[in-house]
Amino acid sequence: MSTEQHPYIFLAVFLAVAVVFPLIPIALAWLWAQTFSPAKPGPDKNSTYECGLVSRGEVWIRFRPEYYLYAILFLVFDVETIFLLPFAVAFLKLPVGACVAMMGFLLLLLEGLLWAWQKGVLHWK
Amino acid sequence: MNTVNYLGLLRLLAPETVLTITGLIVLFFDAGVMRRQSIPRRQQVAAFLLSAGAMLAIGWSRHYSLADPNSTSMLVIDPLTQLMKQVILFLTIFTALVSLESKFTPHVGEYFALLALATLGMMFLVSSVDLLMLFVSLELTSLSLYILTAFQKDKLESSEAALKYFLLGGVSAAFLLFGMSWVYGLTGETNLIRIAGQLRDRATDPVLLAAMVMMLIGLGFKIAAAPFHLWAPDVYQGAPTPSAALIASGSKVAGFFVLARMTLAGLAGAEGSGVWNGFAPGWVPVLAVLAVLSMTLGNLAAIAQTRVKRLLAYSAIAHAGYMLPALMAHNTMGTIALLYYVTTYALTMVGAFGVVAVVEQQTGSDAYDAFTGLSRRSPALAVCLLVFLLSLAGLPPFAGFFAKFYVFTAAASASTRSLGLLWLVILALAMSVVSLYYYLQLLKQAFAVDPPAGAKIIRPLPATLFTLVFLALLVLLLGALPHLLVNKLQAALVVSGL
Repeated sequence: MSTEQHPYIFLAVFLAVAVVFPLIPIALAWLWAQTFSPAKPGPDKNSTYECGLVSRGEVWIRFRPEYYLYAILFLVFDVETIFLLPFAVAFLKLPVGACVAMMGFLLLLLEGLLWAWQKGVLHWK
Repeated sequence: MNTVNYLGLLRLLAPETVLTITGLIVLFFDAGVMRRQSIPRRQQVAAFLLSAGAMLAIGWSRHYSLADPNSTSMLVIDPLTQLMKQVILFLTIFTALVSLESKFTPHVGEYFALLALATLGMMFLVSSVDLLMLFVSLELTSLSLYILTAFQKDKLESSEAALKYFLLGGVSAAFLLFGMSWVYGLTGETNLIRIAGQLRDRATDPVLLAAMVMMLIGLGFKIAAAPFHLWAPDVYQGAPTPSAALIASGSKVAGFFVLARMTLAGLAGAEGSGVWNGFAPGWVPVLAVLAVLSMTLGNLAAIAQTRVKRLLAYSAIAHAGYMLPALMAHNTMGTIALLYYVTTYALTMVGAFGVVAVVEQQTGSDAYDAFTGLSRRSPALAVCLLVFLLSLAGLPPFAGFFAKFYVFTAAASASTRSLGLLWLVILALAMSVVSLYYYLQLLKQAFAVDPPAGAKIIRPLPATLFTLVFLALLVLLLGALPHLLVNKLQAALVVSGL
């Protein structure tokens, strides 16, 4: 059984390793528990542990949706910076077409910002 | 350092550039200059700007320089892609004109700008020959269409439809992307032509077959073929009617074209066989399953509908089923038949949705009852509806007849072995007869039943009525003189070699 004849044999090997690998520590832990820590059940020990402790008080807090609009608008500047920096560095070596393309890109972002401004998104209520 | 010729790129993509700028101008003009005007006025100006931009793009798309067909670029510009782009741009103009009638949103500029963006995505979709480019343009189209579906904010159905469309669309895009990643893993290429070259001698590789099925799931969703059709009835019904018109027309044209490009160019050599008693694994038998399911399910489910937009959705599923055999023929005749069918079908569908948009706006409903006695309440609309529905049913002398005729002859003569795809053609013919029943049901409601007492006269806007009559005449013209379009398609196909 060579790998040329069976190109997917690696997948089977990986699958077997993936199954066996987590089973070994679980088995070791079980053996350890058998010898060194006999079972002592109690209310605290038996309670479900999931993502932290049971919370106290009201968990529903108000989260103003304005934040998400600001986060979206932040993307305008975020994306702009990523492209503006290399653009500025390479500016002198760029052909005309590249500058036109970059200006078009900036126009897209600028219009996004102006549109949001006009829609009153920047006005904190 | 820099090998990309941006000026050349901008010149090659002049129609797309023009359309992008048009979208920006529409948005800017509406938000800035037209802010204080009434909504119908803003709609008129925005629709005019969008139509003017699209016409400019159409004019520009006629002048192009042929790129090297053997190049491994991401986009291809040839007569065929330019012709399909023109079709899509015309469909957008018609959609924009039909939108004038509906008053579903105060956000006029955004609506028309999104129409432009969706069209832009479709145009790139038509041009792309690279898996990555194809996926990005598909996403541009889909994201715009999701928002267009959700545009009627005061109607719960609209949001529900958009959410369904978005979630199912996301899942199907994941399938498509996963399939693409396997193809890339097999070949190390993203260019469809090169992929076909790599795959030539291992067409029955099980990994390729799995990848192919996944990609066909993703594209099958786009063309609303059963069993990936479940979004279509809800979206067509919930979306604002003009948005539904674009989803049913332009998006369908682009979807079928990209499906054709993917299968005919990218998976050339992995066709398999779909002839009766002679099935062989490949994309043809997969499409055969989709075609049989779509035709049967679409037509039978359409019988039970009571809302016209839902009826059109199920008929759209059935029509996707009729179109697939043309692709399965995988020859030039089949491709011409497919493109002729999808073009005329899209024109008809925009018209049908236009009529529904008028009736829905003025009676508040798209149920069959709203169409009762339409011939007495608005004779012009009723005649337009007659033309569109009979064309969808495939009766001469309308375009739908020749569309079906070409598809069925292409499929029937595709292979001489065991009568080829004749079994599929026989099923399609039988199902066409079924489809006549539900189209005639609606027409009976419009023509034979008297209008209820106190029913208002329906008066469409002059621009909308003009558009609908123009579309009806176009459907009649392409039915009477089909060679006008077929010759163009043939000439374009010969040069492009898809």
